[in-house]
Amino acid sequence: MKLRPTVYFLVALVLSKPALAQNSAESEKGIPVTDPLVIAKCGGCHTRDERGNMQRLSWERTTPEGWQDALKDMILREGLSVTPAEARSIVKYLSSSHGLAAEEAETVRYDPERRIHDETAMVSESLHETCGKCHSFARALAWRRSVSDWKQFADSHGTRYHISSTTEAVEYLAKTAPLHSPAWDAWNTRTGASSLSGRWLVTASMPGYGIYYGEMQIDRDGDDEYNTRATLTSIRDGSRILRTGRTIAFGGSAWRGRSKGNGPAAAPDDPSTEAREVLLIAADQSTADGRWFWGQYQEFGFEVKLRRAFSAPTLLGVDRPSLKTGSRASRIRLIGDHFPDPVAATDLNFGPGVTVRAITSNSPDEIVAQLDVASSAALGKHDVAFRGSSLPGALAIYDRIDYLRVTPDSIVAAFGDRTHPKGYQQFEAIGYQRGPDGKSHTADDVALGPVDAAWAVQVFHAAEGSSSDSVGAMNSRGLFTPADKNPNLNFDCWVIATARDEKDTNSAPLVGKSYMVVTVPTYTFNGRRYVRDLDRWVDDGPDR
Amino acid sequence: MRTSLAIGIPVLAGLLLPISVQAHHGWQEFDEKAEVTVIGIVTDFHYVNPHCVVEFEVKDDKGGIQKWQGEFSNPGVLSRRGWNAAYLEAGDKLTITGHPAKKTGVLALHVTRILSAGGELKLELRE
Repeated sequence: MKLRPTVYFLVALVLSKPALAQNSAESEKGIPVTDPLVIAKCGGCHTRDERGNMQRLSWERTTPEGWQDALKDMILREGLSVTPAEARSIVKYLSSSHGLAAEEAETVRYDPERRIHDETAMVSESLHETCGKCHSFARALAWRRSVSDWKQFADSHGTRYHISSTTEAVEYLAKTAPLHSPAWDAWNTRTGASSLSGRWLVTASMPGYGIYYGEMQIDRDGDDEYNTRATLTSIRDGSRILRTGRTIAFGGSAWRGRSKGNGPAAAPDDPSTEAREVLLIAADQSTADGRWFWGQYQEFGFEVKLRRAFSAPTLLGVDRPSLKTGSRASRIRLIGDHFPDPVAATDLNFGPGVTVRAITSNSPDEIVAQLDVASSAALGKHDVAFRGSSLPGALAIYDRIDYLRVTPDSIVAAFGDRTHPKGYQQFEAIGYQRGPDGKSHTADDVALGPVDAAWAVQVFHAAEGSSSDSVGAMNSRGLFTPADKNPNLNFDCWVIATARDEKDTNSAPLVGKSYMVVTVPTYTFNGRRYVRDLDRWVDDGPDR
Repeated sequence: MRTSLAIGIPVLAGLLLPISVQAHHGWQEFDEKAEVTVIGIVTDFHYVNPHCVVEFEVKDDKGGIQKWQGEFSNPGVLSRRGWNAAYLEAGDKLTITGHPAKKTGVLALHVTRILSAGGELKLELRE
């Protein structure tokens, strides 16, 4: 018998009702729900037992994004009605009390941080077929469930999306993403996580713009909520950005917030543009790192690292990521905090074969030095140290650039139209040395940092009869901007970087390529509807 | 003011996955009924989505050099066959078989088989 789509939908709806998904099958200890609002809003369907366990909810944990998606689903499919303040409160409670330990969040962080990530860890074709055809595998692994709950979830998911067999997926997920884990037990028993308030040191980098450094003042504004004020200075040109924002630290480890610069964004890739902030806070709460991002595909953004400021001298970064063997008197800037005065050459250490010829200048937040690199200096990543503060692998020593890698190495960009914004792409040409095995494109290759390059885009596949003259253009910073007119066609292109100052081993131009498809506007994603504003309310609060 | 999330639901503008390439061209641009075999020297190998691409040079009848491009499969499939980004290197001499591009003057193949210079089978992608 064939079921019509509407019937499928009703079947899925019924199967997903927790009242029928009896938790009497649960043999694992649940996580009690104690929040009055969650009990009031969810208790109509997710009944609560004498231990405080609510059906389904007490046997599930996930990221803030996971709970936001679940709440959207309940609103859209089950007709749940909540105010913005209630939505925010529910997500906040569940993300904090039914969240992921930092170690668990680490494995799937590329998804909420909106990073391009090849999920090569997909264990089998079958799992790829079951999960990976529609969404990233991280969306499944971001959830932790009891064995029984994985089965219930797979049953309703399989029915709704017509998945023929979920057996292998359930076995894998129940084993890999269990409700209870040592990491979560430890995280859950942590009491009274310390406040993030205070002065923090910031290092950030943005493709096309380079490295920024500065500091952030974090002030508490409610339970686990903070106002932020960051000042960033570009190492490349000295320009400064002031960003103010607001964030929630869910469970003391998941930083979710927004910030924006002190003026209107002048271009799509303007570093002052409003950004969503997703960081993972270390267990000892002394550091946090992650990504601030924006754009149609979240294609723009900063890589960010925060360190709590201390009174001791702290090394934050260097202005150049690599030096060539045999180079003499190369100028290098060390960025930091609380550097003393005076500074001696012996205070600095760059590893064997790298000598400090002179200290050119110094201030509390910067030391400028001249370095000599011996021809015989060890190739590869060297640690950089100032007295007791060190940066592991911060300076690469190389003999030649063996190849250019253009990042991202494959990607889409999208034409825009009257109602759909363009999807841009920012590229970088990164130099690589072949590494100890002497072979390029292997795991031990050494990244040498961005290389100054000339950029071009070349179409190699276009629809029959179409013109590829106006696909779009690259600028000098490696930003691709699609053409204004949307031809409603796809174009397969090479994005080509040619190093300006480097040649290959045959003295030919050093060239790197990325595979880019320029395609139609983003009309829909996965054919699903979501509650867009809910994300905003959770980030900002309803009154902002 | 109380605002219900259940009303006035806007259609989502972005779910947001850092998407990889999915909207690429299909194989219809190649003549699947024809087959070409060429011997060439690899100049570059791109182990990327949506298709891995090998660029190679082929000597023509007059001693000139033709620049070819062969496209096939993707890293996800190939990694499960033991491939990686260093599997083909610049300078490798290969015998490459595939379906030629339909468009006149385009030196491109939908690759179905790759043999090393020594005749070792490196890839067979026939259905």
